Amino acid sequence: MNLKILFALLGLTFITAVLASQKLLIHYTIEIIIILSILKFYGVVFYFMELKEAHLFWKTSIFIFTFLFAIITVIMI
Amino acid sequence: MDLTVKNYKNIYYPPGGILIWIIIFLELITFGMALIAMVFYGKDEPEIFHQSRLLLNTAYGAINTLFLITSGFFMAESLHYFKKGNVQKSIWFLKLTMLGGLLFLGLKSLEYYDKIEAGLTLSYNTFFSFYWMLTLFHVIHVLVGLVILCTVYLSLRKKQHQVNLEDFEAGAAFWHMCDLIWLLLFPIIYLIF
Repeated sequence: MNLKILFALLGLTFITAVLASQKLLIHYTIEIIIILSILKFYGVVFYFMELKEAHLFWKTSIFIFTFLFAIITVIMI
Repeated sequence: MDLTVKNYKNIYYPPGGILIWIIIFLELITFGMALIAMVFYGKDEPEIFHQSRLLLNTAYGAINTLFLITSGFFMAESLHYFKKGNVQKSIWFLKLTMLGGLLFLGLKSLEYYDKIEAGLTLSYNTFFSFYWMLTLFHVIHVLVGLVILCTVYLSLRKKQHQVNLEDFEAGAAFWHMCDLIWLLLFPIIYLIF
């Protein structure tokens, strides 16, 4: 399972790098980059760190943190 | 060697223990607020931030992301084999984890050298003040993480019976935290301005 997650994370990193290099060509590039980064964040925290096995409190806290971070960043940029 | 697995569904026992998760959240909030401050200042000086961002080597940042993610995978595998009682494989993956960290630091050093050579130091402008403070603070975390992993490695090699699962998980969680922080730093510093 972790190997699949690793390849998914590497793929997302590659897509992010390609998107960033074509920033002026695609609308909402910044928003997409932030969303992809948050997805990578979830891959690490829920699978590599096994937080998917933890109490709902910890999962919810991670969701709240990433949601606030992404929203504030996108609004302010 | 204590391999007793805690019930992670218990609110007081997330993987690695509650204390390391309190630290992780405090670190994430600290870095998160600093990055939001960077975005806030970027709004005041959009052209300076854009031109400064172009002076960074995005390839270095992307390769370092690959190093840290792959290192995180090796860490997860090391813990997985430790839980199964296969110490030799656990040690092998732990070595690969540390190699990933060292490669990250090596490439970061090269990047810092380029920046210093070009005169892009802490006082160059607001963007580079944030760049140096945030990335250096992160590098310190990676160094501390490597020291923790070295300690676990030496304990596994010499005093296997003294290593318990929760300590191993806490060390692994700290290492993954470095990964998480980098996943927030990379897009904001290297890509979006």
